Amino acid sequence: MSSAQIEIQLIASLVAIACAIPGTFLVLRKMAMISDAISHSILPGIVLGFFITQDLNSPLLIFLAALTGIVTVVLVEQIQKTGLVKEDTAIGLVFPALFSIGVILIAKNANDVHLDVDAVLLGELAFAPFDRMLLFGVDAGPKSLWIIGTILIITLILLFMFFKELKLSTFDSGLAASLGFSPVVVHYGLMTVSSVTTVGAFDAVGAILVVALMVAPAAAAYLLTSDLKKMLLLAILFGIFSAISGYWVAHWLDASIAGSITSMLGVLFLVVYLFAPNKGLIAVIYREKQQRIEVSLLTFLLHLKNHVELEERHVNHLNEHINWQNLRSKIVLDLALKNNMIEIDNNIVSLTEKGDLFTSQAIDYIITNEDTQIEDMKADFFLFRG
Amino acid sequence: MDLQDYFSLVFSDYTLRTITLGTAILGAVTGMLGSFAVLRKQSLLGDAISHAALPGIAIAFLITGAKESNILLLGALISGLIGTFWIRGIITKTHLKSDTALGLILSVFFGFGMLLLTFIQKQPNANQAGLDKYLFGQAATLVESDVWLMTIVTSICLVVMLLFWKEFKLLLFDADYTKTLGFNTKFIDILITSFIVLAIVLGLQTVGVVLMSAMLLAPAAAARQWTNKLSVMVFLAALFGAFSGVFGTAISASQNNLSTGPVIVLVAGVFVIISFIFSPSRGLLFKQIRVIKNRRDLHLHKTLSFMYRIAETHENISHPHAIKILNNFHGYTRGTLQKLVDKNYVTIDGTMWSLTEEGFKTAANLYNQLTKQNE
Repeated sequence: MSSAQIEIQLIASLVAIACAIPGTFLVLRKMAMISDAISHSILPGIVLGFFITQDLNSPLLIFLAALTGIVTVVLVEQIQKTGLVKEDTAIGLVFPALFSIGVILIAKNANDVHLDVDAVLLGELAFAPFDRMLLFGVDAGPKSLWIIGTILIITLILLFMFFKELKLSTFDSGLAASLGFSPVVVHYGLMTVSSVTTVGAFDAVGAILVVALMVAPAAAAYLLTSDLKKMLLLAILFGIFSAISGYWVAHWLDASIAGSITSMLGVLFLVVYLFAPNKGLIAVIYREKQQRIEVSLLTFLLHLKNHVELEERHVNHLNEHINWQNLRSKIVLDLALKNNMIEIDNNIVSLTEKGDLFTSQAIDYIITNEDTQIEDMKADFFLFRG
Repeated sequence: MDLQDYFSLVFSDYTLRTITLGTAILGAVTGMLGSFAVLRKQSLLGDAISHAALPGIAIAFLITGAKESNILLLGALISGLIGTFWIRGIITKTHLKSDTALGLILSVFFGFGMLLLTFIQKQPNANQAGLDKYLFGQAATLVESDVWLMTIVTSICLVVMLLFWKEFKLLLFDADYTKTLGFNTKFIDILITSFIVLAIVLGLQTVGVVLMSAMLLAPAAAARQWTNKLSVMVFLAALFGAFSGVFGTAISASQNNLSTGPVIVLVAGVFVIISFIFSPSRGLLFKQIRVIKNRRDLHLHKTLSFMYRIAETHENISHPHAIKILNNFHGYTRGTLQKLVDKNYVTIDGTMWSLTEEGFKTAANLYNQLTKQNE
């Protein structure tokens, strides 16, 4: 590995960490699309800043662009406040307009400006090590490393200082307000950090792909845990993993680094989405199936409990009475047998003592509308689940 | 070329005519379907779908190696649909919210598309140039066959919309009721969503991946301000969309270096701003005027009721009183007093005022009406 390669991976990882932290809170606050809006609408800010400074890495440009990001948030909120359109429509109206202004500004000045839309949108990480930072005439590493490093340190300091406030206002803004932490300040603080991070990251990974780095690791982490600290850590780890693996995939395919980092994020999310324990797709589908069978079982037991007549409890009759298909009836019957809830004597089904107890308790919970309790009760009664 | 040249050329020049027709039809169909997206609170779905279409274009090119726009659009359509259904899967099967699902699919698909595009660029194949026009769109590359395709799709949309009008409308405003009536809501839902995807994919070539969502939203959001009726809204949105297309093309054709997509979006944005401000019933301007008018009426009533309270204590209700006893706190200004005189509720004699018979009656009924309304 050459030093340029190490530097690229370092920059990518730092960007991933810097994005994952505000991203986690955006996902939790259901504001993920705001990051998309910011990432598009900073374009006019970048263009204006570039006209003034002629340097993509100047702090003034970052400041101007971040300001555009905050203007976007304010505009969205103002439009939403008029009540004329819903919030999502407000977002969808503001950022394409600002983005269009940016594109037109670039197009009108294309001849004398060394800046094109592709560079802003997609960035080119591969060139980052060539733009060196000179401190007192000494080479101090790539400029983007310094920029994103500074942003990351500020973000981390803010995170540690205001972790409690952030946590509280994210999960219970009413309580936060009543305790004297202003949710508005926290909100705009978070928006500012998101804007600055987006701008700082845009020339490394591109403005649009910042969204992926903000949303995808946080979303994947959210499927795995419901503890905020663990979620932050997981999101950071996922970000770093995709940054480094993405770099090597791009190296192998000789394609865009930013694109391949995003694709790795996509693959990572897909894996988590499918296989996450409890919250993943497979687990959810399995659980839904289990619950469906167990509800059937309960219906079946209820029917038995309600009828003492022999002909109502004959195996063949049950099949047509409850109107299930053969397979389903068989599964339910087997499950009941395995759990010792029924016994079959001469094709007549009857409840055991245990089955009787289970049914009465379940009915109790359903009548008192405490359906959630049934899940705990199932653990006590079932030897085998559906 | 200035605007005047444009309008004289638009009927004779082949390219200009094609582009203008294309953007107009595109604006109409996206505006029409966008109405449904906006009302279903799926405004940002368009943004996600248009980004999600990018890898489809790249894969279609990788497989066929040809730049036939219909095949590329077919690829875009498929990957747009995959993106849409993945979004639905995330929202329904996990606890992640719709904004997260949208942002995730949007960025991940777009990133994957960019990976493929850069990968294609490195291939030793001279045919690959120009795929990136789908990023920002190039209306100038529209040819007659594209316009025909748009026309056909628009007609299909229209027919389907008219056939399922009742179902669409019902699902839009009361999904649960629709279900209880026995309609297959899932089917209707998928039908609307698929047509939205189709409209977005059609626009990719003209407006591009990034700005397509605005084409869907802006005309619909503007139309929403003028009416509370779905049919009128859909019609108006189509109209606004078509006009944005035509004006946007005209403006961008009359200047150098002005890409069509962004200009169309900005024109549509102007429509939105005008609608937000000037719409008679919901617009900000008239709303503000109504607020001011109400406040004035309230001041007037306040003064009148104060006068009534004083006049009540006298046997002769028209007994004159000094103007001096009225103050700002009672909503009194020279203007309101003059208005009361104009309405013939009060007469003024020098520095004294006195309530007329009519004024007394109105003031007495002022609160009666209020209490009646409260009951």
